[in-house]
Amino acid sequence: MKDKIKIALAQISSKREDKEANFQKIEKLTVKAKEQGADLAIFPEMSLTGYVVHDQFYELAETVPGPTVEKAEALAKKAGMHIIFGMPELSEKTQATVFNTAVFVGPQGLIGKYRKMYLPTHSVFEEKRYFRPGYQTAAFQTGLGNIGLCICYDIFFPEVLRLIRLKGAQLIVCISASPAVRRSYFETLTSARAIENTAYVAYVNLAGVQDGLQFWGGSRLVSPNGDILAKAKYDEEDFLTCEVDFSDLRTAETFIPTLRDLRPELFDKLKEYAELL
Amino acid sequence: MLGLSGGIDSATVAALSSLAIGGKNVLALMLPEEENFSQKDIDDAKTVADLFQLETNICDMTEVMECFYEQIPVFDRKDRLCKGNVKARTRMIYLYYYANKFNRIVCGSSDKSETMMGYFTKWGDAAADITPILDLYKTQVRKLALHLRIPERLALKPSTPALWPAQKAETELGIKYEILDLILYGLERFMTPEEIASQLKIEKSTVENVKRRWIGNEHKRRMPIAPKLGFRTVGIDFRLPRHTY
Repeated sequence: MKDKIKIALAQISSKREDKEANFQKIEKLTVKAKEQGADLAIFPEMSLTGYVVHDQFYELAETVPGPTVEKAEALAKKAGMHIIFGMPELSEKTQATVFNTAVFVGPQGLIGKYRKMYLPTHSVFEEKRYFRPGYQTAAFQTGLGNIGLCICYDIFFPEVLRLIRLKGAQLIVCISASPAVRRSYFETLTSARAIENTAYVAYVNLAGVQDGLQFWGGSRLVSPNGDILAKAKYDEEDFLTCEVDFSDLRTAETFIPTLRDLRPELFDKLKEYAELL
Repeated sequence: MLGLSGGIDSATVAALSSLAIGGKNVLALMLPEEENFSQKDIDDAKTVADLFQLETNICDMTEVMECFYEQIPVFDRKDRLCKGNVKARTRMIYLYYYANKFNRIVCGSSDKSETMMGYFTKWGDAAADITPILDLYKTQVRKLALHLRIPERLALKPSTPALWPAQKAETELGIKYEILDLILYGLERFMTPEEIASQLKIEKSTVENVKRRWIGNEHKRRMPIAPKLGFRTVGIDFRLPRHTY
């Protein structure tokens, strides 16, 4: 594990239903990230296919591993990079069961995947119509450190990121496809989740318009004490690199020791009362 | 309130309307005009009206159309597509005037094949309050028409939007409805172009062309695009009952 890593927030605008064009963009920006000294390039939720594709998800979904993931593995190996991107994942056991998945590859191949647990189905969102929810949080021990994954709406549920943190993740990556009217929520929640877990939170959102829906961009790296260390442009594509210094966690954990002060017995109560809601 | 063209779709809708509420409660409007006047179509429309005992009214649109041609400063009579769309929208104006005036609803005659292909005029023939055969492919409409005892020569005659003389739907679509409907049926059921082409023993490119046209015309089937700004937005995420009665 390194003390410091450099990550690239690749805030792209995906072309709907065009996996080839989007993967080319992922490829180009991964190389650019490497050239700028980054170890990890992060792309938004559904960056491979676009987010607003409705029924086309069935057609666009692939297994993980599968053809695109193999291409991503080859890219990661060739570039000597770690890459996180979003795509619709087809279950290997069925022909039309799809997950909203974050894929994590590194120079050694597929590190892991995370299937979105909280699927928004309200307002403009129709995810439960298409996706089966995931049942496992994800934190992966990698050569870069322990990195956790979550996707967009998951961040509204503190228990998801808490669990990822308790599994050891010190950098929590949240890939997102968040429309403009939700900007203030995410700006608050990314900072809150970083502070309450004393962890880095890297948030990477889509940019651009899909079917009338404007994705607000604003990708960022938030430090364990809530400082916004890097912030991408609103609404349009942007690319920036920033540094994650894991040694900062010690300061944050001692200054406001939320992990030391955890009260596990409350979690039993949470379960009890959540069931009675 | 419905437009009766003498074609299969409007004949079927007329028959269904008559069965549902009685022919005397259905006002069928015939809207001929000079450019593609067809006595045969008028006769066919009258046959249907008689068969299902519909109330009818006939309005010659020729002068109204001529007025558009004269009064729109940039009007190009040679551009038959733009001109044809004006014709389809003018028919809509007549239908909605009657509906409005006599407190009726407009019963549309769009079918599934042409709607999926985007083969209609936005705010023209697609404008309606109810659409009884929208979920039936053209080949299914023909079978339903025969079942409803619409004469065979009418049920099986080539479809035309009648926007200009000698216009034929299958020629414009570049494919027979018998094949088109099977392709659309496969796409509806999430089959891949490869599977459809293989089962129908046709070129994959034929299926892909249909698919491209189907998906590319979704904008014609939806509310106009709007930037999402508010808490709930018309056409996006207001989900209210269509009627309050």
